[in-house]
Amino acid sequence: MGFLDIRNATKSYGAVEVLHQVDIAVEEGEFLVLVGPSGCGKSTLLNMIAGLEDITSGEIAIKGNVVNGVHPSKRNIAMVFQSYALYPNMTVAQNITFGLEMHGVPKADRDTAMQEVAKLLQIEQLLSRKPGQLSGGQRQRVAMGRALVRDPDVFLFDEPLSNLDAKLRVDMRTEIKKLHQKLGTTIVYVTHDQIEAMTLSTRIAVMNGGYVQQLGTPKEIYDNPANLFVASFMGSPSMNLVPVTVRAEANAIYAVTTTESNGEIKLAFPEPTPALKAYDGQQITLGIRPEAITDPDGADRKSTHVETLRAQVEVTEPAGSDTFVTCHLGGTECIARMRADADVAPGQVFDFAVNMEKAVPFDPRSENRIF
Amino acid sequence: MATRAEADFRTRLQNWIPKLVLSPSLAMMLVFVYGFIAFTVYLSFTDSRMLPSYGWVGWENYSKLWRLSHWEISLTNMAIFAGLYIVICTAIGLMLAIFLDQKIRGEGFLRPLYLYPMALSFIVTGTAWKWFLDPGIGLENVMHTWGWESFSFDWIKNRDFAIYTVILAAVWQTSGFVMAMFLAGLRGIDNEILKAAQMDGASNWNLYRRIIIPQLRPAFLSAFVILAHLAIKTFDLVIALTGGGPGRATELPATFMYSYTFTRNQMGIGAASAVIMLITIAAIMIPYLYAELREKK
Amino acid sequence: MAQATQDTAIRTGRVTRTLIYLVLLLFALFYMLPLYVMVVNSLKPLDEITGGGMMNLPEMWTLEPWRKAWSEAQIGVEPTGLKPYFWNSIQMVVPAVALSTVLGALNGYVLTKWRFKYDTILFGLMLFACFIPFQIVLIPMARVLGVLGLAGSVWGLVLVHLVYGIGFTTLYFRNYYAVFPTELVRAAQIDGAGFFQIFWRILLPSSGPIAVVSVIWQFTNIWNDFLFGASFAAGDGAPMTVALNNLVQSSTGVKEYNVHFAGAILAATPTLLVYIVAGRYFVRGLMAGSVKG
Repeated sequence: MGFLDIRNATKSYGAVEVLHQVDIAVEEGEFLVLVGPSGCGKSTLLNMIAGLEDITSGEIAIKGNVVNGVHPSKRNIAMVFQSYALYPNMTVAQNITFGLEMHGVPKADRDTAMQEVAKLLQIEQLLSRKPGQLSGGQRQRVAMGRALVRDPDVFLFDEPLSNLDAKLRVDMRTEIKKLHQKLGTTIVYVTHDQIEAMTLSTRIAVMNGGYVQQLGTPKEIYDNPANLFVASFMGSPSMNLVPVTVRAEANAIYAVTTTESNGEIKLAFPEPTPALKAYDGQQITLGIRPEAITDPDGADRKSTHVETLRAQVEVTEPAGSDTFVTCHLGGTECIARMRADADVAPGQVFDFAVNMEKAVPFDPRSENRIF
Repeated sequence: MATRAEADFRTRLQNWIPKLVLSPSLAMMLVFVYGFIAFTVYLSFTDSRMLPSYGWVGWENYSKLWRLSHWEISLTNMAIFAGLYIVICTAIGLMLAIFLDQKIRGEGFLRPLYLYPMALSFIVTGTAWKWFLDPGIGLENVMHTWGWESFSFDWIKNRDFAIYTVILAAVWQTSGFVMAMFLAGLRGIDNEILKAAQMDGASNWNLYRRIIIPQLRPAFLSAFVILAHLAIKTFDLVIALTGGGPGRATELPATFMYSYTFTRNQMGIGAASAVIMLITIAAIMIPYLYAELREKK
Repeated sequence: MAQATQDTAIRTGRVTRTLIYLVLLLFALFYMLPLYVMVVNSLKPLDEITGGGMMNLPEMWTLEPWRKAWSEAQIGVEPTGLKPYFWNSIQMVVPAVALSTVLGALNGYVLTKWRFKYDTILFGLMLFACFIPFQIVLIPMARVLGVLGLAGSVWGLVLVHLVYGIGFTTLYFRNYYAVFPTELVRAAQIDGAGFFQIFWRILLPSSGPIAVVSVIWQFTNIWNDFLFGASFAAGDGAPMTVALNNLVQSSTGVKEYNVHFAGAILAATPTLLVYIVAGRYFVRGLMAGSVKG
């Protein structure tokens, strides 16, 4: 039993089921990120944990107590909203202490708690202002202060950074991470931004269509996506998905594909697993991260299975730290991520280095990973 | 488990409070609006005269009603009144709005002048126009003392023209409001579209005819619905301005209903006429409200 | 109302502009004319009016018609002037406006922030109730007021105006609260605030503008009502509009036009004052009744 248990939680509106049997156990101190495209059910799930939407079937338990049907204010949770939801008619100080006031905490204690939080978040000088007089970043801090002051069991964040500009978003991301490390609180955090998910979380639940597609550490999710959705959703630029034919030969299994300029090419899988062998002669989808396709000099030296792939370069996009190179593989566009100074030009026929250790095969029909 | 039960109670209570708060209003509405409508509909099928009575007479009141010349006059007047009132108000409102939208100096001064009649009671409006149009002391008399001896303007006393004085007073009262609606619509139009049209070489006339006025469709619709509904409900203005006269020349369904119900003791017929008024308004309002509420979802 | 945008794209020539100004001024005269007639003639003796001087400024300025209209004119049985009826209207308007606005605010809050099944249909029913021709409810209302013992009294009218005003006030507050961020309500719920605490502490402090609109709309409508007043409160309980009509229509004695005009202005003063002081909100109320959203 975890600290926050979601067991078979299902949500329907009338006949429409929007969330299907979600099962997640969150340990104390974990930072769980729910990530997925809009409409995937992540916010619904968060609202169910908060008690803002009821649970159609299944259970949610906090610290072992089932909270189905329990009023949001009695769950000992706090939430930071996308719009921050600061009460416009109250000062920052009143905003922070409103929850304590509603819970009947004496004024003196409220003030002490508020001062502590204000110091922690460095918003002491803002306490007498109204939300309308604050910048986006300051509002964000106040919203977090309002959550922190309650000292809840679980913090819920609903896309808290999506209203900030790019630079501030990165700063606040770091700040939230620091805060989590410092206070060791349990956090459930909803976002549609996969970079936020990767950087902040201790575990990620990737959601789509009301299902949890994969639950795992950021590394697991990134390196071993369970299906095509997770593969394409996580990572930017997203994973290349190349249609290849499996060909089993004497002591190796190859992924065979074609390039427009240089005809058929064969890439050997690192291990001839029986699962792969079963697909002999069939078409599968091979997922290769852009950083696993490089120029020969930039290839991962620890990898023992770097294959060479000769193809024509179509477009190069220098992005400063890296250069993205586009080519065609098996009729689909493929992006390679190279060092900034890689010597490559459009139109050139180039030897790409493919790290097959990082390649992930998928069954194109079930869309699941082949093990 | 104890804590859970308590929390459950609070949540349940919180679920019920909103409905409890809404219920007095709902109850009042159901009784005083829909219950009363049902009651009046029922009365229209009874032989009620001075007081409600419950002898069922079927469609008799309706067939009587349609044979009454008094009712026929009210309907004819309604058609003239509603038609002209809506058209003239819309025309004046649109014209004033377009003119005011030309970066007019003193707009802030003119706009309230156009709109203030809307704040007045129809009884006040009726009184003012009644004496101003009265041939004995009003406009006609003034012209005579100013030396225009042959000037004649006795519409308010003339059976054939009295209804037009009602239209005049009603237009005076509401055309400013229609202007405000159109002005809001005009101000809501994206200026870049107008600039683009001018780049395309559209003249002012074409700009309005082809680009701007078509975009005012929602304002036209709202103006029509509001004016139609005001027209059908017009009662106090007629009472104050002409009292329905001369003779029955300015009777409208609303005044017809009132006099049949309360002074002529023909409650059944009065109820039947009220039902017909309701149906007419419902035919206009329900599609409009339905569309408005659907859009918002 | 929207302010004039700085860069109107349309340009007009000098002749056109002159014509536009001319038309606008003519209409300004048209709208001002009855008010001018009322004011000017309420300040002159009767013979100046009957002598054909309706459009002239008074030769002999006098406040006598005003005094007469206010405290002497024969309206009911006694020559009381409009004064008691003015107070009737005040007594009717204040509670009716206050109650309907409070209920409208609560209804709007429930209908937007505590949504439940069929709430749109309920709101549709309330909204339609705003637009019914009131003739359809006159007969049963008269009966019910009789049964409740409220016939002919100011309290009866308060009830009537409350019942038929709720639709509009609910409409105003619903449209206003619809754009009030629901996340604030959710945040307050998590903070532990209950239904009324959320309303009182979170929504109400931001409801000033719409409350003004609602109060003005209700005030104007109820003050100006004639149909209900004439139907349910004849005699001493009549409101101002009914008394004014009785004054003007009374067929006994000489027609004192100057007194009628003074009375008309007295009846119009409260709503005109509201319009002058808070015209912006008045217009917004009118618009909200038409362009929903």
